[in-house]
Amino acid sequence: MLGRITREAEKLTINGSGIQGIQSLTASYDSVATPVSNLGINSIQYYPEGPQQANLQVNTLLINFLDPINSFSEYTSRDPLQNYTGDMSFSGIVDHGSKQFYFTQGYLETYSASCSVGEIPQSSTSSVIYGDFGADAKFDSWEQSFESQAKLNVTSYGSMEINLDTFETNRVNSFSVSITTPRLPIYKLGKDQPDEVIAGTPIEVNVNFEIEPDDYEIKNMRLIPNETVFKNTVITLKKNNSHDILLRYSFDDMLLTSQSFAGANESNARISFNLRSFILR
Amino acid sequence: MARIFYDKAPVEVQALGTNFRETLIATDCSINFTSSQSPIYAVGKKGSIGQFPAAARVGDISFNFLTTITGEFQNIVGIGVTSSQGNIINYLADAIKNSTDSEASGVIIKCAGVSGVGFLNSYSFNTAANSISSSSAAFTLFGSGTQLPVSGRLSGVNAGVGDGTSVTTGIAHGRFTTMPSSLNTVLYQSDAALGERYATGTIYSTDYSINFNHNPIYKIGQEFPVTTFYTTASESLTVSEDVFNSGLKYDETASSYDIALKGLSNTAQPMYVRVSEAKEVSTSASVGLDDIIRTQKTLTAAY
Repeated sequence: MLGRITREAEKLTINGSGIQGIQSLTASYDSVATPVSNLGINSIQYYPEGPQQANLQVNTLLINFLDPINSFSEYTSRDPLQNYTGDMSFSGIVDHGSKQFYFTQGYLETYSASCSVGEIPQSSTSSVIYGDFGADAKFDSWEQSFESQAKLNVTSYGSMEINLDTFETNRVNSFSVSITTPRLPIYKLGKDQPDEVIAGTPIEVNVNFEIEPDDYEIKNMRLIPNETVFKNTVITLKKNNSHDILLRYSFDDMLLTSQSFAGANESNARISFNLRSFILR
Repeated sequence: MARIFYDKAPVEVQALGTNFRETLIATDCSINFTSSQSPIYAVGKKGSIGQFPAAARVGDISFNFLTTITGEFQNIVGIGVTSSQGNIINYLADAIKNSTDSEASGVIIKCAGVSGVGFLNSYSFNTAANSISSSSAAFTLFGSGTQLPVSGRLSGVNAGVGDGTSVTTGIAHGRFTTMPSSLNTVLYQSDAALGERYATGTIYSTDYSINFNHNPIYKIGQEFPVTTFYTTASESLTVSEDVFNSGLKYDETASSYDIALKGLSNTAQPMYVRVSEAKEVSTSASVGLDDIIRTQKTLTAAY
């Protein structure tokens, strides 16, 4: 009898911890096998050309946050996946029904978090797998318990804040933060996995958001340093009706790369932004 | 007129007077045949009085091929190292450079119906992490006695149909190939934080090449040489690492290295190349965007 595997039988474990709220997960690789082509060709043989890598893409609802950050915290974000934007690698297991596959030496390449009023915040990640990818995992996957059922944090006007230098009193409709972290694997002769993976630089950060303006003034479209660069951009996402900060992003010297004003007869005025910055590490 | 597609143009090399032959996995091949003509001028005449042969006709043939380490060519023991594997070009280079007899016999080279007796001019191969190794070879064809340097007409050669699809294991690849540990640059350094220690370079790729000089002997009354002598050879090894040796000596110590090129089977017999009494002659460092500083050192040996 043909069976099917549905969501309750699928789970992702990264470095021993379960990733909750997954909306979609894609793990894939393209073989680097290349056919031998030669003069007088009389058979087809394949050889691997270039390093074999795989990719992992995960989209999750942000429903499971780490404990609030304090001076003893070993992480910088309460979103577990964002903490892999540094130089830390991860291994993991994907369970599907009674089967599972694993991967090692995973490195996050892109991370984005987004939310808008009335929605649950989401994150998307794309990672590259430099190590192994296949069956016969040598570590265990996590076990979901009843207590680990997460609570939903639906976003409201009061839970999102964006501070752009001196402008603070504008209602935020939505925002998204995207972080791209380059990786440089170093391969040496005689090995098919990198000897080292260098956390590249610079890290590119893009911030998109939409506000219903109050005291905000449209900036001049010319590239004027004093007008189009925000010295300090702070984005804060709080738990509804609470001062409990779930996510907080703070970026220096963000360049305003696009700005769009929209007015309509049945809605408030809105302004959309894209800010861009690079972080050197 | 025959139009010959590449699948009917295999490159075959055969040692003269033996049954040792190999059809190489060549990716390209070029054949040239030249007849040198010089104009003659005379006092009292504006134009030339004609063009006349200035040298014997010669040909050359060169090709690139994947570095096979288990071809049809088998069971020949190399001279420089005790290897029973490798391709016929590697065997040939090994035999010439270690030869005690100066008189060379050449090898028959065939491609798409055209053939000639060639003397190995140069042979090189490369090996890099996660990449297949490719080689190149170039021969000069002097001809012999009344035999033209290049003969035959273009015609398709059926190479037959081999086995079905498979993953090749008989081509050198950077997956299992490692260089001898003595080839790694090792530098002594004193670090305030780490103390005294040795920094050992990591090898990312290696390029090998050897060039041969041959001397054809011509006699009066005959266009092509009566015999050809092998004279000298120079060998070069270029290693890419991440350690820069700023202390290159005026007279570096000579060392020998046995390079073993392995295929995709870690247990199969590799192809050996012995570089004898090589000295480091240059070192360099370069860096580009989004990469580490890579260094290169070149070692040369002479035969």
